[in-house]
Parts: sequence; structure tokens; C-alpha cells
Amino acid sequence: MKYPVYVAKRLVSLIPVLFGISLIVFFLIRLIPGDPAATLLGSHATVQSVAELRSQLGLDLPVWQQYLTFLGHLLHGSLGFSFVYNSPVTDLIATSLPVTLWVLASAAFFTLLVAVPLAVWAAARRNGVADNIIRAVPVIGLGLPSFWLGIMLILLFGLKLHWFPVAGFGTTIPAHLWSMVLPGVTVALTLAPILIRSLRASMVEVLGSEYIVTASAKGISRTRVVLGHGLRNAASSSITVLGVNLAYLTGSTLVVERVFSLPGIGQQMINSILGRDFPTVQGITLVFAIMVVIVNLLTDLAHAALDPRVKLA
Amino acid sequence: MSDRDTDVPDSSGPEMQDHLRIPFISRRRALQLAALGLGAIGAPTLLAACGASTAATTSGGGSSAGKKGGDLVIVRDRDSVAMDKTTVFSNGSLWVYQQMYECLLAMTDDGQGVKPWLAESYEMAADKMSCTFKLKAGVKFSNGQPMTSADVKFSIDESSKTKGGWEFINTAIKEVTTPDDLTVVVKTKYPWAPLLADLSCPNNGIIPKDYGGKTAKDFYAAPVATGPFMWDTWEKGNFIRLKKNPTYWQPGKPSLDTVTWKVVSDENARAIQLQGGQAHINEAPPFSSLEQLKATPDVKVELFPSTRTDYIMMNQTKTPFQDVHVRRAISYAINREAMVKNVLFGNGTPANSFLMPTVPFYDKNTPGIQYDMDKARAELKQSSVPNGFTTTWLGLSGDSVDSAISQIMQASLKDLGITLKIQNVDGSAQHDMTGKLQYEIAHSYWTMDLADPDELVQYALDPDSGGHSFQTGMKNAELIGLSRQAAREFDKTKRQALYTQIQQKAAETAFLGFLFYTPFPYATRSSVKGFQVLPTGYYHMENVSLSS
Repeated sequence: MKYPVYVAKRLVSLIPVLFGISLIVFFLIRLIPGDPAATLLGSHATVQSVAELRSQLGLDLPVWQQYLTFLGHLLHGSLGFSFVYNSPVTDLIATSLPVTLWVLASAAFFTLLVAVPLAVWAAARRNGVADNIIRAVPVIGLGLPSFWLGIMLILLFGLKLHWFPVAGFGTTIPAHLWSMVLPGVTVALTLAPILIRSLRASMVEVLGSEYIVTASAKGISRTRVVLGHGLRNAASSSITVLGVNLAYLTGSTLVVERVFSLPGIGQQMINSILGRDFPTVQGITLVFAIMVVIVNLLTDLAHAALDPRVKLA
Repeated sequence: MSDRDTDVPDSSGPEMQDHLRIPFISRRRALQLAALGLGAIGAPTLLAACGASTAATTSGGGSSAGKKGGDLVIVRDRDSVAMDKTTVFSNGSLWVYQQMYECLLAMTDDGQGVKPWLAESYEMAADKMSCTFKLKAGVKFSNGQPMTSADVKFSIDESSKTKGGWEFINTAIKEVTTPDDLTVVVKTKYPWAPLLADLSCPNNGIIPKDYGGKTAKDFYAAPVATGPFMWDTWEKGNFIRLKKNPTYWQPGKPSLDTVTWKVVSDENARAIQLQGGQAHINEAPPFSSLEQLKATPDVKVELFPSTRTDYIMMNQTKTPFQDVHVRRAISYAINREAMVKNVLFGNGTPANSFLMPTVPFYDKNTPGIQYDMDKARAELKQSSVPNGFTTTWLGLSGDSVDSAISQIMQASLKDLGITLKIQNVDGSAQHDMTGKLQYEIAHSYWTMDLADPDELVQYALDPDSGGHSFQTGMKNAELIGLSRQAAREFDKTKRQALYTQIQQKAAETAFLGFLFYTPFPYATRSSVKGFQVLPTGYYHMENVSLSS
């Protein structure tokens, strides 16, 4: 199947997913006790002011009618207006989403940077000292809570050594890159152990197969055999592991964002839930759903690109 | 992931050829990877060294000589909501827009009264039904336009007319007239003692007449006013920044070039940013961290006397809290000393009244109901439930103060035979349920917005003000009558006598359990000079400067 057709098919299947999610999140958030108007106005507010604001926000309409209004907006490409900020939800997401994407990209980069060389080295020196260390030590990373790890890195590399900013996102591209290092490393240290083990296992399996024997018999250099033939074949299953974990991470960047004061979409989501900002919660949930589907799609495409035997269906 | 080493025995299948078990990735490859790694870390560092930096540095441009200029950064855990002075209640918004909107009068630094501000003098009429204000000459808005009485009339009327906000502060005002450009007369419907304090409340801040030609919405998106700072930018959810007003009426002020309020939700991250110099002021660090902060070089901890008071609310519409003996028993069981020590880490004083020392007419001699377990048991014996009962505390999840208080109460009340179950919900839900009187017992607090007790007295005792008597459902005719009488009494001695009576009776009826008075904690870098927080939480940024 051709790539464009495949991509189009996957994107079209996104629509019923989004519809279902919008329905669920719309009704679910309204089930939680806590009125947006009262939350917004605070404890000193009078009963009349709360009633006024509810009416302004359209909260006194029956729920099914509110849902139809929401769907109507959606069909026009609008996600509604934030109760808290009174700006279009799309504007709020447009400022916070890029930050989270930078975090995810940085996380992917550092995970690969750490995991690939270590896994290849471990597989190549199987059962050696290096292999055992590489298999055992990263497991510590799996157990470390990311908020603790993040703070530790900030204390050491930010506060003591001044190599990286203590917090924030920066205002220029170089500043963004610089501020993404510690968050990326924090996430990578928790993701890398999984990737190392899976990649190492596939590498060991692949390096034991017949075409590797053939390749080396043909006189190809050791490096090219291991990396060009071995790694390339082993990578395909690990790409799936990485992709699945990144998709999972999409909704969980909150912790890293909080620790590093990054104004990303995870932060925005938690603040909108606590502030009962219904339109923003609905909008962000839909964006998360889209991101998860797209990350999965990219994973499948990468998988297909790496391995011509995989047929996209 | 299965570990193939243990699953597949070495002898089956084609073995990895010896020469393929590379003892070492080729030197060339290793060097390439190392260069890549170093580059990944080194390049951004180099780039950023020549690129722009993030938020402020400890001393801003031009402040190396000492006091002038600088960009101040405050970190706090929430963002502002809006700049609309008529409808917005959140402190996160108020404390920011108070740097822009100024009133005729301002609260004195000790919180006990008001002083002239945009009005240089005022005179109350003999019949106490009107007050004449003379405006300062030469005050300009940040757009260069002069401030006149027409702007003052517009600003006060705006708040009185806008429904769904602070209009309850202005209910006593009948009309505002403007005999000439620099004179304003405010007439009230009845003699109203809190009038001057009401006019110092931020909702009565002075803005240009008719919003300077814009719509209300456009105006409040980029407000223009007379204050020391003017509108700059707001990246919602991230930070809000105001910049110096070059036409400010106080000579030589403000010193700072900009003030930025940054949103940093994690308390550890806030502390680290303060330590690292990326922030100058940390708003409300937790009490548990104060000792450690005090020991940090270049950081000082300040505890400003505040109007914040914490209470235990008991819902009188639910059995058995309508019984005064039950409420008094519970109040006798409150171990305030333990709470101040364990919850506030010593940063507070036990409360004896529902009013606080920093508000006028507070009575320090009201004994209140203090910790005494014997008296608690005696009260319970006289009540409708002498053998105790079971009740549920509606707690605030994630709030360590609420959690600690509920657990201390759980232990004390167990002694009386009262079983306290704790149910935690999030802030919005708790607010909702207490507002609808759908709870039994819970914790709450209050901070004043102006220098007059009436704001709290009305809310706490008079159900007509819309707060269900501080969400207790109390309807005590005597207290209601006394509070209305006190609001109309101008003679300070008589007014004090009335409020003393009110406080004593309120304490006797134990409608709230008074817990403690706490200060506003702030951690600042030692380069910050002149920062002082008033008892309402407000601060005058025009007095703050950064030394290098």
C-alpha cells in the first residue's frame, strides 16, 4: 500500500475516536463536583455574582444543549473559549503545545543517545562485564521517580555547576535547546532502561542469524555488519517500544513540566481541571488523543521505513 | 522483555561468530559517538552563551550603580485571572492590578485606617451622609491624559453598576457628583462608617472615563491607569509583566523597570529559582521550608503581619451542630498550641476572636474558647449527644495545612467520644459543597480586602450578605442586629464597644472554631529593598528597588 493512502486512512480513522473521546470527556468533567463560576470567583464571591457568571458562561443551559454548542464550535474549527482566561482555547494550546513537543523530542533524542550505543555494546560483548553492568545499572533509572531525579539534576547541573538553566523555557531557539537538555535527560533516564533491554535482546537474536554469517563471510567489516545489518534489523521492534512509550508519555509530561517550570500542555491540563475550565479540558483532551494517534502512526511509518518486509495495511 | 541469554541455550542455532563479538566498537566509531555526545551537550551550551537568557538576572540593566532600574521577578503558584477590577476576586489578579489602578484613598501600612492617595484631602459632612474629596492636581494616566473628577465618577459608578462582582462594597453609595474638575462628592443612602475603607478597595480604582473610548473588554485587555506600573505583556499560564509608568505622580518612583509575576507550580522549583537568582521574590513558601530558607545565603525570609485567620466551620443545618453545646465542646477541644507548633512550625498565634489583630476594632480581651478538655467533656455532657457521635470532615486534598489540622482534631475529638472521618476533595469541589451547605465540618480561612471589619462581620454574621454566615447556616438575630448597628456608628469609642460585644457573643456561640492568625511568608533575595506586604496582602511596588 502506498504511504499517502495509508496515512490518509489512519487519519480518517481518527474521526470516530475523537468523537467518542469528546463525548466522554464532556460529560465526565461535568460530573465532578465543583462549579467553574464559583471556582473562578473565589471564596469572597456573592451568590448573585456566581449566578451571573454561570449564565454568561452558558452553564445554566441543559447539558445536551451545551454539548451541541460544543460540537458546533468544533465543526467550525474552534475549541471554544476558556472560562478562566476568556481567550480561545486554540490560542492557549498554541502556546503550550510546542513546549511539550520540544520536551518529547528532547526525550526521544536523549533516550536514543543513551540506549542505542549501550544496547549495541552490551549485545556485542554479550555476557561480558560491560554487558552485565549495562543490564543491571539502568534498572535503577526505572525505579527513580522523575520529579526527584529532575530536582537532583537541577541542583547539580543548574545550581551548583551553572551548566544549564534552573528552570523555564527561554525566549530564543538556542535558549530552548539549552533548557531542554535537563528535562530530556530526566525522561531519558527513565525510558532508556526499557529500550536498552529490548534493543539488546533483539540485537542478540539478530546477531545469531544466518545472514550475519553470510555478511561477514562476504568480507564486510565488523562494524558495518553489526551496525548496518544487525542494528538495522534489531531496531525495528525497538522503534515500536520507543513509540509506545513516547505516546504514553504524551499525557504524562506534567511532572517534568512542573519540576522544570516549562509552560507545557500537561501543566495547562492539570490547571484547567483544578480550575474547572471545561472548554480547555475538553480541548486539551482532544489534542492529546490526536497526538497519541499521530505518534503511533509515525512509529508504524518508521517501522515500515526501517524494515521493507513490513507491509502497511 | 525476555532475556534471550537465559531462554536460548548457547549451543542451539548459529552461534555469533567469534570475530563478530567485537571486543570494542572500532575506535573510529567510538570517537564519532563521543563527538556526537559532546556536541549534543556542548553546542547548545555554546549557542546559549551567546544567545538570550531566560528570565531576569539578579541585577537588571543600569542598576550596577545602586538603586535605579532593574527587572524584578516574583514566582508564585498561580496565574492571574483577569484585570477587570469590578468582577475579579482572586488575589493572584488583585495584587497585580493594584500596581496599576489607584484609589482616592489608600490603606495605611498598619492596616488600621486609610490615608489620602489620589485625593489629597477629604471632609465628611456633619450629617455623615456625604464626603467631599479634593483631588491631587497634575495626576496623569499612563497615556498622558490628566485625571479629573469625571474619571473618578465613572470609575466608582462602573463598579457599583457591574453585576456579579464587587458591587456589594458600594451598596451604601447613593450617588457621586463632580462640582468641578478636582472635586468629588460621594453621597450615601445612610450614615455608613466603612465608607472611606470601601473607597480604598481596589474595585474603586480610578480608570479613564468611558474606558478612554474603548470597549470594556478591550480596555481590560491592556488597561490604562494612574499607578506606578503600566501594562506590558501577559503570556497566559506563564507570566504577566508590568513596566514602569514614566508619568507617575510620585517623584522619583518607581525604581524598577519591570515587574514580572511568573507561574511556577512546584514549591521546590520556586525555592530553587530563588536560590539560583532567576527569581527575586518567592510568594508564600511553605512554613516547613522556612528554616532551611533562612539558612540559605543571599536569601532572607520575611513574615509580614496579615489579616489571614483560619477557622473550623460547623454546619448548623446538620445535626448535631445546631446544638451550641456540641459546638462549644468541639471548640474547647482545639489544641491551638499544638497546631501552631506542628502545622505552622511556630509561625502563628492562637486566635481568640473571629476578627484579627490587624483589623480595626479587634478586641484582644475577648477570651474566646481556649483549649480545655475537661470543659469540653462537660459541654458535651450537657448536649443532645452526651455519648458522642460520628461526623465527616470535608478536607482539601493536597493542602498540608488542612490535612494536619484535621488529623489533630481527629485525635482530640476521639477523646470526647466523637469519631471524625476525613473525606478529601479538590479545591473546587470543597468550595462548591461548603457553599451549598453540603458538609458537616471543614476548615476555611479569611483575608480582609480593606481596613474595616465590616467586610468580614457582614459575611460571617449576616446571612443576607450571601455567605450563609460563613457557610455555617447561622441565623442569630442579636448578632445580625448588632453588626448592622456597628456599621452605621461613626463614633470610634461606641463602634469599638459594639464590635467588642459582637466578638464576645460570637465566641460564646462558637459558630466557628477560631484557630490561629498567621503572617504572610515571603522569601526574597537580599538584593530586594523596600518590599513590604500590607495586612491585606497588597504591596506597593513603587517603593521596591534592587541593589546589585
